Amino acid sequence: MSTKNFTQLYQEWQAEVAKRLEKTPERKERFATSSDIEVDNLYVPQQIDDAYMEKIGFPGEYPYTRGVQPTMYRGRLWTMRQYAGFGSAEETNQRFRYLLEQGQTGLSVAFDLPTQIGYDSDDPMAAGEVGKVGVAIDSLEDMETLLQGIPLDKVSTSMTINAPASVLLAMYIAVGEKQGVPSQKLAGTIQNDILKEYIARGTYIFPPQPSMRLITDIFAFCAEHVPKWNTISISGYHIREAGATAVQEVAFTLADGIAYVEAALQAGLDIDQFAPQLSFFFNGHNYFFEEIAKFRAARRIWARLMRERYGAKTPKSWQFRVHTQTGGSTLTAQQPDNNIVRVTLQALAAVLGGTQSLHTNSRDEALALPTEESARIALRTQQIIAYESGVADTIDPLAGSYYVESLTDQIELKVLEYMEKIEQMGGAVAAVEAGYMQREIHKQAYETQRRIERGEELVVGMNCFRLEHEAQPELHRVDPALGRKQTEKLAALRARRDNALVEQTLAQLRQGAAGSENLMPLILDCVRHYATIGEICGVLRQVFGEYRAV
Amino acid sequence: MEQKIRVLVGKPGLDGHDRGALVIAQALRDEGMEVVYTGLRQTPAQIVNAAIQEDVDCIGLSCLSGAHNELFPEVIRLLRERQAEDILVIAGGVIPQEDIPFLEAQGIAKIFTPGTSTKETAEFIRSHIKRKPLAFLEPPKKIAHIGIAVKSLEAVLPFYKKVGLPLLGTEVVESEQVRVAFLGIGDSRLELLEPLHPDSPIAKFLEKRGEGIHHVALAVDNLEERLAQLKASGISLINEEPKDGAHQARIAFLHPKAANGVLFELCQYPASEEARP
Repeated sequence: MSTKNFTQLYQEWQAEVAKRLEKTPERKERFATSSDIEVDNLYVPQQIDDAYMEKIGFPGEYPYTRGVQPTMYRGRLWTMRQYAGFGSAEETNQRFRYLLEQGQTGLSVAFDLPTQIGYDSDDPMAAGEVGKVGVAIDSLEDMETLLQGIPLDKVSTSMTINAPASVLLAMYIAVGEKQGVPSQKLAGTIQNDILKEYIARGTYIFPPQPSMRLITDIFAFCAEHVPKWNTISISGYHIREAGATAVQEVAFTLADGIAYVEAALQAGLDIDQFAPQLSFFFNGHNYFFEEIAKFRAARRIWARLMRERYGAKTPKSWQFRVHTQTGGSTLTAQQPDNNIVRVTLQALAAVLGGTQSLHTNSRDEALALPTEESARIALRTQQIIAYESGVADTIDPLAGSYYVESLTDQIELKVLEYMEKIEQMGGAVAAVEAGYMQREIHKQAYETQRRIERGEELVVGMNCFRLEHEAQPELHRVDPALGRKQTEKLAALRARRDNALVEQTLAQLRQGAAGSENLMPLILDCVRHYATIGEICGVLRQVFGEYRAV
Repeated sequence: MEQKIRVLVGKPGLDGHDRGALVIAQALRDEGMEVVYTGLRQTPAQIVNAAIQEDVDCIGLSCLSGAHNELFPEVIRLLRERQAEDILVIAGGVIPQEDIPFLEAQGIAKIFTPGTSTKETAEFIRSHIKRKPLAFLEPPKKIAHIGIAVKSLEAVLPFYKKVGLPLLGTEVVESEQVRVAFLGIGDSRLELLEPLHPDSPIAKFLEKRGEGIHHVALAVDNLEERLAQLKASGISLINEEPKDGAHQARIAFLHPKAANGVLFELCQYPASEEARP
């Protein structure tokens, strides 16, 4: 490399970009500031040396510090993907259509807790929870309603589903079949990250070992049948929400990522067969420059791990592609309109950090599920950043800032230290089983609470600049009769479907689960015949057992 | 043994967000309370069972999933069914302001919304628990007096005069069938007890053990509550209810088997008497 000079390296990169632009041009013919200063696609130091190429490099090139795409937002903006879902499949379907009409570019489904934990709406454990934090899906019938009128070959859909991810993915594939869309064309993401459920989010069902098997079954199945699907979204988001620092968020997420890679390799998969389908999910938090540096550091660490340690050959395997959601726990119940400003700053940090897609939280999320108006303002926030601020006109604009580069290096260093520690404990699965990450996060959460109470950390409107009288905002309410309605729907379904066929497919699933074959085709068979999520997960619970927190 | 306020932190329903529950559990521990955390996904019945089994003074419920209007009142209903409504119930989470009046009417003592300091929560628990543990009664203040059984006051008084303890007075306590002489010693006294009747407890004591130290009396406040708590903690009492003693005090005796053969008396003086130097 040292034989090549700056001009050569830079021209090579520009030539590569030009090739891409022949296929997909940039968003505008010319980018310029208000004073008509032309904005280049990339700004680089006067002298590019080995250290620059090794640590920072060009966008779309190893180690991807400046972004995973060579064109980044000059070519296409990030995907604006608002997480939504509540009540019945009908109501959520309406909200989805509304969001698509408003210019949203991808769907993101929130499921209610019974669905996330594999209970039918009529299960006693589901009491009070049906349709509350997301949409209630009991069977393929509800999924058909949810996606009615939404062309699955045109829209990409992200589903926040973990322990029963195979079941919901199978339902999505089955709806595609009914729409005449082959699984090869389906695009989207399932969260499918069980480790962070044990660490921070709490919607686990089975113990770690069989859970890891379900995940690697999905990897193998999708590599063959659903190649455009992101099979996992390895999530730091909830780890951060539970109280972790930026460094802990990156470290624990990447450690989880390594655990999935190891599990897939052990299941006999080739690294380049599944690694391109791995994706990540980060939190967009308050400390602006640290957040930006966090994304840059994570990309660099992951690329090096995948290429150097696991010998991945496909550049797609090296790329840390990430969805971001702004930090829900940073929102205050006091003076909720202030949250719009918090979300704006957090979203801006995620964009300057180079996220692939983004959810901006609504101002009222510390109080209830967002109203339609709040959800719209949240989406408009992204649109203002994208179309008015100009921050998307050049790639990685903060590269070369002494501060941001130094933060990037320091985060990388501290993350590697943490990952080393987890490695020594036997990897992320062992660390989770020992409760290590849970304790580290809790310690940090408690420390943060104390700092806020001592006034060392200021939260505007909460421990300073308070209002005597708070206005009561309009809130979104979920129909309390929904549990009963879902129960009636389930009873009708059970009376109508071919129950002998359901029994038969469930029996085959039971047998498969006790053995070692890939469970995805068996689960797909169950859902096609309208077995419910509670029935399917019930069979797996009997075979696998249930996880109890340490 | 000092008894701490016992709190059960519960996560009813399927909600997995336990950052708040864990932080409040830790904060209450740091405030000197004993805290049991149930873990995730508990039904109201499991929470109530655990609360009764753990004999807690307070249940703190946390729910961020929006299921609070169904789950919190169910906890209250089950507590009533189990006659455990003396357990204080408080709650927090993502609870819209407009739901609070309903939940409070159901019997939740207080809903803490996001941004409440943990100190405020601890203070609320301390001032609202219905069963006050010993830790929150003042420890006994001093030795009120030492009781000494004598056959005849007249026979022993010259000795105490020579030692230099002033005779503050004598009094007949009908309830105990004794005549008592009080000798001052700092803030405390010696009480010389002379039986008035051969059937009186002091006469029986003299018969069995001869003259000598009979009991030690501790000055306390909240006598009634203290007796109830001592009884609850397994100490046998001679008097489960306070009775009248000398100097308008309210008194009660603990059973000597509770103190390896030493007879203790608890006495509570009226406020004016207590102020006496």
